[in-house]
Amino acid sequence: MEKIKEEIRQIAREALTGKKVDIILAWEKGPLWYDSYPAFFTKEEEVDSLTWDSFCINNLSKYLLEETMADKKVGVFVKGCDALAFNQMMQDNRIRRDNVVVYGLPCPGMIDPDKVRAKRLNRGLTEVKQSGDELIFVTKDGEITVPAHEVYYDKCLYCHYPNPVVYDQLIGEKVAAETALDRSERFSQVEALEALSAEERFAYWDSQFSKCMRCFACRNVCPACSCERCTFDDDDLDILGKAREDSEDQFFHLIRAYHVVGRCIDCGECSRVCPQDIPLEKLNRKLIKDINALYGEYQAGLDPSTKAPLVTYQLEDADSFTAGEKGGKGT
Amino acid sequence: MSVIANNAAVKNAQAFEPLIVAFCCNWCSYAGADLAGTSRLNYPANIKIIRVPCSCRVNANFVLRAFQRGADGVIIAGCHPGDCHYMTGNYYTRRRFSLLKNLLAYVGIEEARFKVDWISASEGNKFADVMNGVLEKVHKLGPNRKLRDSRWRR
Ligand code: SF4
Ligand code: SF4
Repeated sequence: MEKIKEEIRQIAREALTGKKVDIILAWEKGPLWYDSYPAFFTKEEEVDSLTWDSFCINNLSKYLLEETMADKKVGVFVKGCDALAFNQMMQDNRIRRDNVVVYGLPCPGMIDPDKVRAKRLNRGLTEVKQSGDELIFVTKDGEITVPAHEVYYDKCLYCHYPNPVVYDQLIGEKVAAETALDRSERFSQVEALEALSAEERFAYWDSQFSKCMRCFACRNVCPACSCERCTFDDDDLDILGKAREDSEDQFFHLIRAYHVVGRCIDCGECSRVCPQDIPLEKLNRKLIKDINALYGEYQAGLDPSTKAPLVTYQLEDADSFTAGEKGGKGT
Repeated sequence: MSVIANNAAVKNAQAFEPLIVAFCCNWCSYAGADLAGTSRLNYPANIKIIRVPCSCRVNANFVLRAFQRGADGVIIAGCHPGDCHYMTGNYYTRRRFSLLKNLLAYVGIEEARFKVDWISASEGNKFADVMNGVLEKVHKLGPNRKLRDSRWRR
């Protein structure tokens, strides 16, 4: 990744000096070991602080919304999942493609700081180096080597698209797309919940939803939640109040999940940013699982020229409510 | 549960009159309701019908709001697929509410409380059947507490 980082910096510098773009959107190292946060670069000399390491989890595509709206030319770096997000926003007409130069970064996987802490690898940590399938944690007391999949985010272990599906320029070599875990496994938690009784399920979700403080971080980070004006923000609509009230939490969560149905790329960003650790992916994946079962396998963000499952239909579609008989003519 | 609360619950169950909200499409199911009425078929007065231009006019908010503000059951009724007055509306209804139905079940709402069905203008009988069917099941389940706004009073 070190080598790629230099390459990225070079590309960023050239793009800025050559006036190919007005802004470069990439990552910058923060004060803490796990901090590689999104950063905007507009001057060549700023690029020295640009970084690319195993903590660049933040998806930059979402930032293209406002930027492109301002008619600026933006150069953006995207990992595999960010590219799906980019495509999804393209499909939703929320990015102006002409205004964006996409630099694709094949992604080896990103490190989950919680897993590092659980292994106590963060003590005196100065640097993390990647070598093949292993990660070397350089600490004050020496180097510790661990298999990479032990500290990568779960979502990276299921990831099918580590190589960006959209780019103008690809940087570095493509990585192998086989997953550490079986991809169908990502539905196992959904299935476990489905196996419970209605009462148990309600108790589970009620306890989760009532933790929500409606900070809307999950919405703000989501590439599928890109409406110009969110229905939850519109006071005139009287959709959602401000009360600490369980039914409002439930309402918010069901609508949030439902609004991204068929457009959720399963990037896991919403659950990652949730300060209350609400497992939002269990809602999203339930909907993905049902779409796959009812209307055929679908991966949002793969191809922006297709239609999302809920804005199209087939005459002979199945449904979940008329017990087998499809009803209607000619079916 | 305290004895007093328990007694109140027993009393409540005895007096339980389910409140059902039925979103009916103007062209088919609402006319079906009309026919049920003019044919003097019995369907219960606890069903509150809300007329919508098309079953696809109903969105997930409507369903959740109904539960939030007092409904014990919610029904969406539209024209049979292929018969939509606007050609394609109910095809979208079919996809949207297939997913919502499963989602509601997934978060623990009893399945019998939410029903989607196709009822044409000539199906007065079916209209009465569907309404009675849901009412009966909801009656058995008792008052709905899930998704309910705690500030709501009947
Ligand atoms: S990020 Fe978490 S706490 Fe914040 S609104 Fe979303 S679910 Fe609620
Ligand atoms: S996983 Fe969450 S953040 Fe990502 S697209 Fe789906 S809903 Fe949005």
